[in-house]
Amino acid sequence: MTKNFLNGDDIPRFLEILAGYGALHGPLLTEDGVIAFRPLRDPAHLLLDYQRTLLPPKKYLLPPRETILTYAPATGYRPPDTPAPQIVLIGVHPCDLTGIAYLDRVFLGEDPDPSYRARRDALTLIGLSCDPDDSCFCDGPVTTPTECDLFMERAGTGYFLAPVTTRGREMLEKLSPLLGGRETTHLTPRAHPLVPEIRRVAARGETFDASHLWDDFAARCLSCGACSLCCPTCYCFDVLECGALDGTTATRLREWDNCLFRAHGEVAGGFNFRKARRERFRYRYRHKYLGFGPTRGELACVGCGRCRAVCPVGIDLLELFTEGCHEARR
Amino acid sequence: MKPAGDLHTIPVPAAIIDRRPLSDDTTFFRLRLDDDVAPRFSFLPGQFIQLSVPAGGEVPISLAGIPGRHGILELCIRRAGHVTALLHDQPAGAMVGVRGPFGNGFPVEEWQGKNILLLAGGLGLAPLRSLLYYLLRMRHDYGEITLMYGARNPTAILFKEELAELSGRRDFHLFLTVDFATEEPAGGLTCRTGLLPTLLRGVNFTLENTVAAICGPPALYRCLIAELDTFGFSAEAIFLSLERRMKCGMGRCCHCAVGELFCCTDGPVFRLTEVREIEGAL
Repeated sequence: MTKNFLNGDDIPRFLEILAGYGALHGPLLTEDGVIAFRPLRDPAHLLLDYQRTLLPPKKYLLPPRETILTYAPATGYRPPDTPAPQIVLIGVHPCDLTGIAYLDRVFLGEDPDPSYRARRDALTLIGLSCDPDDSCFCDGPVTTPTECDLFMERAGTGYFLAPVTTRGREMLEKLSPLLGGRETTHLTPRAHPLVPEIRRVAARGETFDASHLWDDFAARCLSCGACSLCCPTCYCFDVLECGALDGTTATRLREWDNCLFRAHGEVAGGFNFRKARRERFRYRYRHKYLGFGPTRGELACVGCGRCRAVCPVGIDLLELFTEGCHEARR
Repeated sequence: MKPAGDLHTIPVPAAIIDRRPLSDDTTFFRLRLDDDVAPRFSFLPGQFIQLSVPAGGEVPISLAGIPGRHGILELCIRRAGHVTALLHDQPAGAMVGVRGPFGNGFPVEEWQGKNILLLAGGLGLAPLRSLLYYLLRMRHDYGEITLMYGARNPTAILFKEELAELSGRRDFHLFLTVDFATEEPAGGLTCRTGLLPTLLRGVNFTLENTVAAICGPPALYRCLIAELDTFGFSAEAIFLSLERRMKCGMGRCCHCAVGELFCCTDGPVFRLTEVREIEGAL
């Protein structure tokens, strides 16, 4: 007998209670026909049975473009004073929660980023177990990650709720009138067979120097950057200053950048440290699987499968690992 | 090294108190920080700042002045892009913004008791000028101090008057070279013709107990390192100040990674042994 079972029919009432913690956002099917995290104007639109959104939830913490400073001659540079919106994000899969945990380490480590801190504090995360498809290669679609406040594990016609944080426990208390006990078995955690190999390779610092795949990837890659855009742990950004028409005030923006873009490795005078696609590919690989800076030695890939699903020319970095497996067996 | 307080996230105002041309495209700027900021802003030779031209943008710039002068920052800036062009249009008295200092700087304490060979190419003189003045101020802590500096042509030689004055010192060796010479450099400076590695080959300097600090355009590093290698110079004793376009200075924006290291937080000064095997480092 497990407690805290939420019947699927009670989802609307569940959402009403959660709305007390902030504006509700969750996965829904947009007019464009893509699945995206959006504001939930109608609870009936919430998708609790979805594979993956086009963009990961990083957009809530690192908006594609945000003002980090404003400038006026009288005040100098100042951080914007707009408070971060209180948001309850419902239905975040374990891979995306792991992605948020990774971003937390980057932006909330030493010298926390003020803007990220504010948005993170204002974000309540409701996790959701998932059912991996062919593109996924995570190491546990049903594990309860520590990053969310409350985790929903699908069970038949409803969900088991597990609180993770203090906020989650408080929510559960308020939700208790809706919850009951249910006799059922929990989902069995299952990892993608490649996960142990990816972990081994990352721990070894393997760079597959001899692989022919680098040239193959570079020849096909369009440098469109879709793989980084949709990656839950790609966070590199550009900083832009937008002068106003008055000629004296300005806003400084932080905008998603992309290591597959040619300008990423450029320095003053035009010299480029990553002029060739192959070099940019290897830069991305190194960051994703071996880490750098505060995340060196940490695997950044969470196995969400977005990059494999969106690449217009079918580039799949996993081929490096499968090739590595074959080499090892030989 | 992480900067103290809030000096790293929000640019603090600094006034341009002096500016003078150093060459056709490069200008010397002296900035003064506000009195409330000055005591908190101390730096080491080899560190850099993020310099903002209001409503223009921000660029990483090496600190070229003597550390330890209350709130005074000296910069040597080439007109190379949007922000530096705007900066060149700023008159003395104009306000700019400063974040920093960022990066590790040269390990000057570790070098005590050693001979120091400074190898500068073009604008690479900027951080080495800061280092040179530091070493000369702490003269008794170091052995022989030699600067070998290469510029494109005699008019591109930066800090001509200063170098002419320094060349008169008995406790310091200066060697200049230009790639092409159609005229003699002004100020009575002795100058050879040829590339910096050629100069290095032609000069006798002490190899024993010597460290080299290199800064220059990207193409310079490999050939200088190869030259030092043929002398049997230890890779442990070669220090490089690397150029990258740091956007944040905090190890976040990911533009300046060199292998697993960040130029902005782990560098910009690296020991050759740290980066030699890293793809795309040099």
